Amino acid sequence: MGTTLLAVLAVVLFFTIIFLVSKASEMASIGKDADDEMEDRSNLQGKLLFAFLIFGLLGVAYTFWTLGPRVLPASASEHGDLVDSMFNITTVVVLIVFVITHVVLLTFAYLYRYNRNRQAYFFPHDNRLEMIWTTVPAIVLTFLVFRGINAWNDIFDFEKLESTEEVIRFEATAKQFGWILRYPGPDGEFGERIIDKEHISPINELGVNWDDPNSHDDIYANELVFVKGKVHLAKLGAQDVLHGFYLPHFRVKMDCLPGLPTQFMFTPKYTTEEYKAILSEKKYWQQIDPETGNPKWQDFQFELACTELCGKSHFAMQKVVRVVTQEEYDAWIQGSPSYYNTVINPDGAAETEDFEEEGVEAMDSTTVEVLAVLK
Amino acid sequence: MSEVTAHHDSAHAHGHDDHHHEESWLTKYIFSQDHKMIGKQFLMTGIFWAFVGGILSLFFRMQLAWPNETFPILETLLGSWAEGGKISNEFYYALVTMHGTILVFFVLTAGLSGTFSNFLIPLQLGARDMASPFMNMLSYWFFFAASLVLFMSFFVQTGPASGGWTAYPPLNGIRDIAINKGSGIGFDLWITSMSLFIVGSTLGSLNYVSTVINMRTKGMTFDKMPLLIWALTFTAVLGILAFPALLAAAGLLEFDRLLGTSFFLNNIVINGDLLAYKGGSPLIFQHLFWFLGHPEVYIIIFPAFGIVSEVLAVHAKKPVFGYKAMVLSLGSILIIGFFVWAHHMFVTGMSPAIGKVFVIFTLLIAIPSAVKVFNWITTIWRGNLRFTVPMMFAIGFVSLFISGGLTGIHLGNSTIDIQLHDSYFVVAHFHIVMGVAAFFGMWAGVYQWFPKMFGRFMNETMGYIHFWGSLIGGYLVFFPMHFMAGVPRRYYAFDQFQSFNNFQDVNVFITIAAFLVMAANIVFLINFFYSIFKGRPVTEENKNPWGANTLEWTTPIHPGHGNWPGELPTVYRWPYDYSVNGKEVNPQNQPLEEGEQGH
Repeated sequence: MGTTLLAVLAVVLFFTIIFLVSKASEMASIGKDADDEMEDRSNLQGKLLFAFLIFGLLGVAYTFWTLGPRVLPASASEHGDLVDSMFNITTVVVLIVFVITHVVLLTFAYLYRYNRNRQAYFFPHDNRLEMIWTTVPAIVLTFLVFRGINAWNDIFDFEKLESTEEVIRFEATAKQFGWILRYPGPDGEFGERIIDKEHISPINELGVNWDDPNSHDDIYANELVFVKGKVHLAKLGAQDVLHGFYLPHFRVKMDCLPGLPTQFMFTPKYTTEEYKAILSEKKYWQQIDPETGNPKWQDFQFELACTELCGKSHFAMQKVVRVVTQEEYDAWIQGSPSYYNTVINPDGAAETEDFEEEGVEAMDSTTVEVLAVLK
Repeated sequence: MSEVTAHHDSAHAHGHDDHHHEESWLTKYIFSQDHKMIGKQFLMTGIFWAFVGGILSLFFRMQLAWPNETFPILETLLGSWAEGGKISNEFYYALVTMHGTILVFFVLTAGLSGTFSNFLIPLQLGARDMASPFMNMLSYWFFFAASLVLFMSFFVQTGPASGGWTAYPPLNGIRDIAINKGSGIGFDLWITSMSLFIVGSTLGSLNYVSTVINMRTKGMTFDKMPLLIWALTFTAVLGILAFPALLAAAGLLEFDRLLGTSFFLNNIVINGDLLAYKGGSPLIFQHLFWFLGHPEVYIIIFPAFGIVSEVLAVHAKKPVFGYKAMVLSLGSILIIGFFVWAHHMFVTGMSPAIGKVFVIFTLLIAIPSAVKVFNWITTIWRGNLRFTVPMMFAIGFVSLFISGGLTGIHLGNSTIDIQLHDSYFVVAHFHIVMGVAAFFGMWAGVYQWFPKMFGRFMNETMGYIHFWGSLIGGYLVFFPMHFMAGVPRRYYAFDQFQSFNNFQDVNVFITIAAFLVMAANIVFLINFFYSIFKGRPVTEENKNPWGANTLEWTTPIHPGHGNWPGELPTVYRWPYDYSVNGKEVNPQNQPLEEGEQGH
């Protein structure tokens, strides 16, 4: 209590001093020549603005120096390079304009600070100048738009899928507050989903039709596993509210909506191990993590996050992402039990007609665990 | 004698005569129909909300900076929202939601365009009041009612709205506190408040446009109007065309919530239970929301554009460079501004093909914005710059508008937006360009017209402290956020992710800078309220203290209702005849000299 009181007193004292000093300087200027006063003030403030320019630019450079290495590292997907190069080109253009306009603005402020002997120059317009600074931005922006739209067309060209031999498809369905990650299993086909009261239940949140044999080997994974160099198609959806499917290192982001499927196509460039090796060459990533005692790069992992506000635990919808080789992936697919075999029909004997009740009755401790993970 | 007659005529036309019956305290200060008083009411309410919104941001900044610490003072202040001195995640989202709503609508819309449209449109046009003073009064009281309703929502048991200021369904579209606490009665109050606000804003905007079209004094042709009036008029046009879309969206959303319709909802599954909603689309809400939401940022920034144009010209004693280009660029931003809304939705599930159209329009709008910046810079070139406090804020505005505007070029390009959407880069961009910059426009206006509003001056030293604290503090808060370009916004904590947890020290730094900005603004608050009562008084000799050409300074120091005691002034020149005829100041009502060509 005592410290709170003291803190309040200190704050009050701080503002009182500012107030008194300010009033005193106002009193002191009474009776002074108004032009003198204005010259003094404009002189000081003009110089301060110029100092702000110098220290501001130094500050900008310092921020790039210190925070630059912390920005997400290089793209781990092929289309991500397009995103990054667009970002870098735009940043260069923007920084040039930023520096020039600020130098001009604040240098003018300094140069033309008030002087009673100078008369301002009456200069109401100049068509030539105005043409120049309408057309130059127009040309630069046209270039950026052109490049941007080209990249965009490429990233969302789903027709590419038809000519691609093998596409890794997976389904990410978001819900408060987690992800249901479904892989089609060894047969490569997803089981059909039917959105109605009959099919959707607490153990079948996706409404999968278990009569469809394709559904029997579908895997409900606890992590995302990608294959290096293969085209991936993420089929996205949500159960309850909006969510966002975000793979920061892959430059992948797309909202997940209930009742409106979305998709995103991407190709990972490195396996997790390869990516770690790239990071291990960077100074920032060689730093020792105080919690683990290891260099930062050693414990690196790709992650999946939510980027659309979805409620109180929006910030905690994390899943780990692994990028592996085709052989590792195949082994993972073969080794992962299907949801149907572990939860819906664990003893493999029940008739498909009454799978749901059987499934629920037959839940053993492993299935409860699987369910807990899915939640 | 003729003067008296003229006054009586005009007074009759308004059904009002302050010579004959004194106004009561209630009609003068509370239910006033005088545009000047209504403007001050908007300003006071805006300042109140600015501090509420600012304090909310300090609360959530404390959580971001020190997520593992506890502050007993928070529990004292916030009770069960901060049990054990730590803000709960539910309340965190309520804080960011209310911060956004309050700042965007109550401060930077009502507090900015409400204040200056009301106060200055009649004064700068040479009109006795608005076209409909009564409707004008209503516009404030609808805003006041909206304020009251939103304020009440802080005190309901499940707390205020917490699904983001953008109010996206289904999070805000299902009235179930199990999904989101703030989507209970707190969000009903949010919708009620917004609806009242839109009614008030529309009443006001219609009035501003009517006044500008019909009530300009003799000689005040459109090409002689100050740029501020152009900006305020275009702001009102934007408001009239855009706000109804939000009203419609809010109405339909409430139908979904209360009546079980499915405008924005489809196939919702909660805990394995399929709800009955069928066939709606959450994207339609986003389209309706951003059809207002994007023009809204121009509603916020246009008045600041106008104020800065006036302030730069007056204190540089130079005409605004390229008057026509300035009006044209405002006009083209107004029109193009209605075709860019979906750049907020590039990766929300909207067709990527449609996204391309919005990329083109979005980057197109950068051209008139660039023209404005170059014209402002040329305005101060070879001027004679008096660095008064309003001038400092105007220079600061130009700097901030450049810094924040440029990153719009990143975000408007859909390819880059894939990565930047909903990240701290967005937070940095819009806070600098329509948060801090718009505030700088507002402060420039407050310092500039304070002597006209209250017949006194604000203290200059405190003004400079306010300026430097806000400029430096503002940049320290928002510049480092650009580097968090991969970090999602609206995260209560970053400890769940290895990818995002490496900015803890930066978050501490930002929070400390935010406190600095707040401290600078407490200095402003002290200065503002002290100066209303005890500031250095305006005298007859300096009743046009900045040496401005515009008409508001030709009124008496304390203008009554009706503004000019005698005849209305006649306008002969454009407002930017600075430094011609060997005189720095040539007021608009000063006849042209022989042989002089008007602009």
